[in-house]
Amino acid sequence: MATISESEPISIGVLFSETGITSVVEQTQRDAVSLAVSEINARRGAGNFELQPIFLDPASDPKRYEAEAENLISQGVRIIFGCYMSSARRAVLPVVERAGALLFYPTLYEGFEFSANCVYSGAAPNQNSLMLADYMSENFGKRHYFVGSNYVFPYESNRIMRDLLVARGCTVLEERYIPLNPKDDDIDQIIDEINKLEPDVIFSTVVGEGAIKLYQRYAQKGRTREKSPIMSLTTGEPEIAEMGVDAAEGHYTCAPYFSSLPRAVNQSFVTAYRSAFGAHAPISACTEAAYFQVHLFAEALKLGGPDAILQNLPLVEFDAPQGKVRVDRTTQHTFLTPRIGRVNPSGAFDIVYDHRTAVRPDPYKVEPEASGWSRFVGGA
Amino acid sequence: MAHFQLKSLRDLFVVVAHPPDPDSQLVMQQLERIGCRTEAAWPVPRDLPQATDVLVAAIGHDHHKVLKSTLRRAGARRPDVIALADYENPAMLELMLDLDALAVISKPVRPFGILTNVVVARNVSLTSKALVSRVRRLELRMEGQKKIAKAKAILMETQAISEEDAYKIIRAQAMTKRISIEEMADAVIYAHDLLSGRTNAP
Repeated sequence: MATISESEPISIGVLFSETGITSVVEQTQRDAVSLAVSEINARRGAGNFELQPIFLDPASDPKRYEAEAENLISQGVRIIFGCYMSSARRAVLPVVERAGALLFYPTLYEGFEFSANCVYSGAAPNQNSLMLADYMSENFGKRHYFVGSNYVFPYESNRIMRDLLVARGCTVLEERYIPLNPKDDDIDQIIDEINKLEPDVIFSTVVGEGAIKLYQRYAQKGRTREKSPIMSLTTGEPEIAEMGVDAAEGHYTCAPYFSSLPRAVNQSFVTAYRSAFGAHAPISACTEAAYFQVHLFAEALKLGGPDAILQNLPLVEFDAPQGKVRVDRTTQHTFLTPRIGRVNPSGAFDIVYDHRTAVRPDPYKVEPEASGWSRFVGGA
Repeated sequence: MAHFQLKSLRDLFVVVAHPPDPDSQLVMQQLERIGCRTEAAWPVPRDLPQATDVLVAAIGHDHHKVLKSTLRRAGARRPDVIALADYENPAMLELMLDLDALAVISKPVRPFGILTNVVVARNVSLTSKALVSRVRRLELRMEGQKKIAKAKAILMETQAISEEDAYKIIRAQAMTKRISIEEMADAVIYAHDLLSGRTNAP
């Protein structure tokens, strides 16, 4: 496979769930890959190549992810785009490593990982939690409440957030976990406790269907968003579309991308995506990451073919909807621009904080440096 | 018991004593990702760089003696040793034990597990250092108790007083002279030996 032949398309596997608890987001990631592939194939011409995607549905189940990854490898696929939850990534990586293949993972996660066979294009904690902690502690009170889904991402995200907030003089009142697929009762217990404790901010790492239920019940039975807003790293446009504006308005999310970003590159991306997948199709940071990582892959492919992707990837820069992105050679994670958005009455995010420059990924950062006010008073 | 603080991970200085090859390169790269300060040192240097916290060392007969003497020379600043091993046959295991390795990274090296090994090695070392100093403190206290008992016995016999009074005298004297009770007991024993004409005073 030393040269790229125009007659022989390059197969890529696409593993996003079309069913199951996290399918709301994963469907948009699948669509984003599909859009990027059609853009790349449309440009086909002198020196270019054709990508042939194989879409499979692992149904939000790590075992199915592993099986479908095996399935792709047995079909000769060496490049896979996919996975949302960390448990899915951890199921796919051993398969990919054994085969010497490559996984492009377009989702924020808890950090502390490096596989030579993985390119990470979602945010590491130093690209979202750090900024959110500053924002929470500088703009809201000091009493915080944590709620998360019961799996690895929330546990580590909460550990990191607790360290950051405590260093900023805040208190974490409680840290609660609910099942990935919670019953109404699980959610109600959390909301009752929130109503009792009256925290200034709720930091939620509840994902998927659970997040939708949480925001909806909170709107019905919880405190007002002015008093106790929910802040998240994962609740994006697809979840908001699912839960409804009434449930989402006034809450905050920290991510490198929001579909409301005014950049021209983003506007043409949003137009292309919606003309393909529906006029109101929601687009989140995970969607955008899934989109730009296919383009980064294609740019690297142009430089030296499928066997030199990893060598060439750090050399390419792509003007993504969020801004310029590139892959860091040391960590194989991506430079991203952190932002914080607040859901407005039309269900879109108003940008309340923009970091403006891309932040180098630092997935093994245990103790993020003091920033914000603590930098000036020499605290923490 | 003291535990290794994950926050201090990035303050660690890790030296990798291994022939330059893809495995040692992977170890160095992963340590850099983690954010430790790293340095390669091969062949095994006579003296380790200043302030080496952790030594990731190749295991082999050829350089074992040099490695041992380098570690011996480090004295109190001996780093925690993590073995970078190809084999787990008894001959190699003996070398690892001889180096007091606290953790093992096996070849072929994978990035996953290196962080864990550094953390576990550091924690074991910290815990065992804390235990050693606790044992030392207890030994000193036991020695002191023995001396106090002996001094009390001397006073009880020579002054014909109760054990409690003997202790009160020693304590009062120690307080007046601003020395510890153990030191006062030593003085009593010493004086007694001198006055009773013994020459083998401690």
